[in-house]
Amino acid sequence: MATQHSRAAARLMISPAVLLLLGWMLIPLAMTIYFSFLRYNLLMPGMEEFTGWTNYRFFLTDPAFKAALINTLLLVGGVLLITSVGGVLLALLLDQPFWGQGVVRIMVIAPFFVMPTVSALVWKNMFMNPVNGLFGHFAQSLGLAPFDFLSQAPLASIIGIVSWQWLPFATLILLTALQSLDQEQLEAAEMDGAGPLSRFFYIMLPHLARAITVVILIQTIFLLSIFAEIFVTTSGGPGTASTNLTFLIFLETPAALRRGHGLGRGRGRDHPGQHRRDLPDADDRQEPGRVRMTRGAANRPQIRSARADRTGAPPAAAHASGGRIWRKMKVGEE
Amino acid sequence: MGRITLDQVTKSFGEVNVIPPLDLTIEDGEFVVFVGPSGCGKSTLLRLIAGLEDVSSGQIRIDGEDATDKRPADRGLAMVFQSYALYPHMSVRKNIAFPMKMAGVPEDEQKRRIDGAAAALNLTDYLDRRPGQLSGGQRQRVAIGRAIVREPQAFLFDEPLSNLDAALRVGMRLEISELHKRLATTMIYVTHDQVEAMTMADKIVVLRAGYIEQVGTPLELYRTPRNRFVAGFIGSPRMNFIEGETAAAKGAFAVGVRPEHIAASTESGTWQGKVGVAEHLGSDTFLHVHDTGLADVLTVRVDGELPVRHGDRIFLTPEEDKIHRFDAEGHRL
Ligand SMILES: Nc1ncnc2c1ncn2[C@@H]1O[C@H](COP(=O)(O)OP(=O)(O)OP(=O)(O)O)[C@@H](O)[C@H]1O
Ligand SMILES: [Mg+2]
Repeated sequence: MATQHSRAAARLMISPAVLLLLGWMLIPLAMTIYFSFLRYNLLMPGMEEFTGWTNYRFFLTDPAFKAALINTLLLVGGVLLITSVGGVLLALLLDQPFWGQGVVRIMVIAPFFVMPTVSALVWKNMFMNPVNGLFGHFAQSLGLAPFDFLSQAPLASIIGIVSWQWLPFATLILLTALQSLDQEQLEAAEMDGAGPLSRFFYIMLPHLARAITVVILIQTIFLLSIFAEIFVTTSGGPGTASTNLTFLIFLETPAALRRGHGLGRGRGRDHPGQHRRDLPDADDRQEPGRVRMTRGAANRPQIRSARADRTGAPPAAAHASGGRIWRKMKVGEE
Repeated sequence: MGRITLDQVTKSFGEVNVIPPLDLTIEDGEFVVFVGPSGCGKSTLLRLIAGLEDVSSGQIRIDGEDATDKRPADRGLAMVFQSYALYPHMSVRKNIAFPMKMAGVPEDEQKRRIDGAAAALNLTDYLDRRPGQLSGGQRQRVAIGRAIVREPQAFLFDEPLSNLDAALRVGMRLEISELHKRLATTMIYVTHDQVEAMTMADKIVVLRAGYIEQVGTPLELYRTPRNRFVAGFIGSPRMNFIEGETAAAKGAFAVGVRPEHIAASTESGTWQGKVGVAEHLGSDTFLHVHDTGLADVLTVRVDGELPVRHGDRIFLTPEEDKIHRFDAEGHRL
């Protein structure tokens, strides 16, 4: 098969695909690098100028950069640890014969089909919310004070949410790998005197090594760019406690500036996105540790104000509290 | 040492009864071969003895001691699987050392036994390779090495040679037989290849649908098969069966005569027919003879040099004292 001739032919055959792929990847990459050395302002098109390393310096010297880097590593590492260990354990469990196995397997995969935004909102409002959330209720029924997950342990909470989303993926891949393990190997090990733990560590785990690597590699790619979960829960806060690199980049963009994010400039409150109720408003995000008892009008000042502008009905307290936090945060800068 | 007794052992998988009540004694040091057609329960029986399956009822005694509820590792048996079941991520050395490691054998003793097994099985040069880098025969030897170092009371083999090519199979067959002579340990060997059964066994157990049809030495089974099934199963090529008048004349429902007990001639004989396919093996030729009026086809072993061609007329004469007679139920008369 692999003669000189057939190899040359093979190369010729795959070359269009390779060229296309190269173009597909190299051109955007080159453009990205090129643009990274320009001062490029979308508001002033055609005025680009070469600025050398300024953009890089600007980003790297951002006081939030180090925190975001550490958060990113913690987030990725934490989720990887939880999903690979949990995935192995769940796969072992699901590999056991039990009644209703098929249904349970499908249900275990379910979280993977829930959109990140939705699942994060569900976790935020229905589980972690200290007043309305299940965990809060549970704590109260035990006579404990509810724990405000997203303010007191924002990064850990996000790690939890993201792990919940990715655990099915890991479980599924590891379960498949586990099922491909030759049963005779396990039986041989059993006859050789290996107990359940030895069988796991000497036979199953080495067999799973490759699958675990795949899980880690694929997840790392996606986990490095976690955004939606942070956006709808903590918005990177309190402070930079749950800001990862992706979110930090977002915070540097005009969209973030106009939405009035913590690290942005707090301008342009009338971004159209805010008309949608589900989007968290600045106050939600920026009040660390404050347990809110109601979610009334005062908590959604911007939405109210934006609506008011359109409907012509002036909201009462809306503007009063609207930019409060921003002002607090921005005092030093402005 | 390694006397294994099965006492009224049964096994069913749910509704399916695979092994009906079965009694069997395997003496210490014996080489016992289980043969039978596919799906007759040979592997199941072996796995019951190994402890990889639980018996549905009955008792298994090893060395007089009740082992029915013992874990596989505690029975002192070693098993060689059809797929070898080597641990792919461990080197040959680690594979062989694994059972000793699990049993907590000291390092230097482990090394001594590994070297011994490797020398006996010609594996010394391959100790640091992975199973994936070995040929089928070498893998087979590693699997046997892994079994030997445990110094078990009995070895269990489940069709260990069925993945090997013909030449290698003959070689490994001899090696396993020699191993048995040297170790003098009980061996139970499952196969559906009756040549392996005949050449290796001290005692053959013929199974059909979980029932033991006959137990005996290879020659006992060959000379005095207890019924038509055993008669047809043991011996290659198969015994010829003739029903009807010819059998009735001998006071039986059917008579059987082996291909090697029929003399062929081009001039005269008791029966006559037309030569069909001739299988030339060199030393012998197996002739398939049609149109005899006795059975569809009779197989005859003739001298390799007999000058017959397809379509030739041929005369056959059975050796009267080597004719087996069976009744309507297939029992020997
Ligand atoms: N786990 C199981 N569940 C249900 N039936 C089984 C199971 N294992 C084996 N059987 C049935 O038991 C019967 C005997 O199987 P076994 O594997 O012992 O056959 P065998 O004699 O080893 O055949 P072969 O020569 O093809 O290996 C078969 O009919 C098989 O379908
Ligand atoms: Mg079998």
